[in-house]
Amino acid sequence: MVIGTIALNTFREAVRDKILYVLLVFGVLMILISRAIGWVSFGGETKIMTDIGLASIWIFSGMVSIFIGTGLIYKEIDKRTIYTVLSKPTERWHFLMGKYLGLLLTTLVNMLVLSAAFIGYLWFAGAPVTLALAQALFLTFIEMTVITAVAIFFSSASTPILSAIFTTVIFFSGQLTKWVVDLGSHPGVTKSAPWVSDLLYAGYLVSPNLHNFNIRRSAVLASQEMAQLAIPMNEMYACTIYGLAYAAAVLLAAQLVFARRNF
Amino acid sequence: MTSDLAIKTSELSMRYNPGLFAAKRIGLNGLNLEVPQGSIFGYLGQNGAGKTTTIKILMGLQFATGGEAWMLGENVRNSRARNNVGFMPENPYFYEYLTADEALEFYGKLSGMDRDTRRSRSRQLISDFGLSHASKVQLRNYSKGMRQRLGLAQAVLHQPPLVILDEPMSGLDPLGRRDVRNVILSLRDAGQTVFFSSHILSDVEEICDRVCVLDRGRKVAEGAISSLLTGRILEVHLAASGVGAPGLAEVNTLAMRAWHDGALYHVLVDTEEKAQQAKGLIEKSGGVLRVMQPHKESLEEYFVRVTDHSSGDGMGKPALKKDAATPALQSAEKTEA
Repeated sequence: MVIGTIALNTFREAVRDKILYVLLVFGVLMILISRAIGWVSFGGETKIMTDIGLASIWIFSGMVSIFIGTGLIYKEIDKRTIYTVLSKPTERWHFLMGKYLGLLLTTLVNMLVLSAAFIGYLWFAGAPVTLALAQALFLTFIEMTVITAVAIFFSSASTPILSAIFTTVIFFSGQLTKWVVDLGSHPGVTKSAPWVSDLLYAGYLVSPNLHNFNIRRSAVLASQEMAQLAIPMNEMYACTIYGLAYAAAVLLAAQLVFARRNF
Repeated sequence: MTSDLAIKTSELSMRYNPGLFAAKRIGLNGLNLEVPQGSIFGYLGQNGAGKTTTIKILMGLQFATGGEAWMLGENVRNSRARNNVGFMPENPYFYEYLTADEALEFYGKLSGMDRDTRRSRSRQLISDFGLSHASKVQLRNYSKGMRQRLGLAQAVLHQPPLVILDEPMSGLDPLGRRDVRNVILSLRDAGQTVFFSSHILSDVEEICDRVCVLDRGRKVAEGAISSLLTGRILEVHLAASGVGAPGLAEVNTLAMRAWHDGALYHVLVDTEEKAQQAKGLIEKSGGVLRVMQPHKESLEEYFVRVTDHSSGDGMGKPALKKDAATPALQSAEKTEA
């Protein structure tokens, strides 16, 4: 009840914030101009549209999570609105979870609007639409559960600017973790500086492997070939479990920081 | 803890650690406090004395570094302690994108109120606090007085037996202060306990049953106002007309201050005995006594007496030695006895 109340209030805050609409408008614009980019590109016009559309949804959903999420807890402390909430019979983890779920709901609604515009536009342009696209969109949402948790973690411990920098770095570097571990396992590195290899592997284990959720390229190819699935369903379940577990671990860490704070 | 106490603290302490190279700062130093149920309790102290720190510890916003505190029998470390407590922070801030209706709905839900009670209480409070005309207006457009009224409304929304207010009269105009005073008195009349901090000592003196005075994180006085302010006379003001020159010279030897305003001769003396002597001298020299007004110690003067001698720079720097019991505490305890 308390978590739901705080979540809905957080959602209402985001809905009444101009930044959400700015990001939404830009997201929709990107989807709409994807056709024009398709006209001037080599290869299939619908393929470019699908590619840019999926990428736009990913980047603008990430921006919603980062720009709204990184200031979420800090703003409550800075503006002292947290006083009237935590002074009610509310546990601190209720507050943290409420903020997280509220932001996730905002991201979900943002994604649904962008996805509706994307699928509608593909259908209007006569591009192939298969379940593979839904798989890509679903895993993008799972990626957002991780990014939102990371944003909440930094927001509960740092200023909005630092939180935004850290979360953005993780958002993009998380796409490169596979490349980092490949680099670490290169014979040149393992022979000359094995500690670098260990360090890179440790970084790989700790940082979120966001590339797991990036099946956009496979989804585009699958939909072009009218295939229903971009990746097997069991692989998708594994990615989902990984994403939710990682988000839960980050939220637990955020709670450990938040529970000890004096306001 | 006995349940007839609304608030009890035992050796409550708070030390802030500003960083590696800065000295620890004491916010509270072994505070023992007992607030009886059904009373209006004033919590006084200079800036930095530890009033807000105490309130934040009670409300679970800060964690004490020592000692314990209870509200209505529940330890404040447990969120259940806040079930039956209403709280308004100093200069309350709200979600600016909400309207008053939405804000009270939100706080009512957090307090666990059912939908019907929540809605009827919100309507009633919005009307009682004079916010009906602005109940659909976003809070970003509210004045300070309106925010303060909404702050009080959210604090009493679920009709808690204990209401804690941090500087509820701060920054309000005289009418706003009167409204807050009336709300506090009506809460006490309804059997609720009100614990509030304030700098406006005339208001505290007017409405409080008991007070506690805090200085640099330590309690220097606590008790019923009637027992703290014993009617000690600070000075007596006499005013007379037609006093002859020899009489004037004799009266002046008794006076702390004497002056003539063109119509009357005024004298201030520091004891009742001197006032009687001055009265006799005035009448003996053919004068007519027009005014003889004793000035008793007010709460403000009491507050200055028990805090000023030890305040040093007056900025509320914390006392570091626990055994440095102040004479003020001793005098307050003697008075209470």
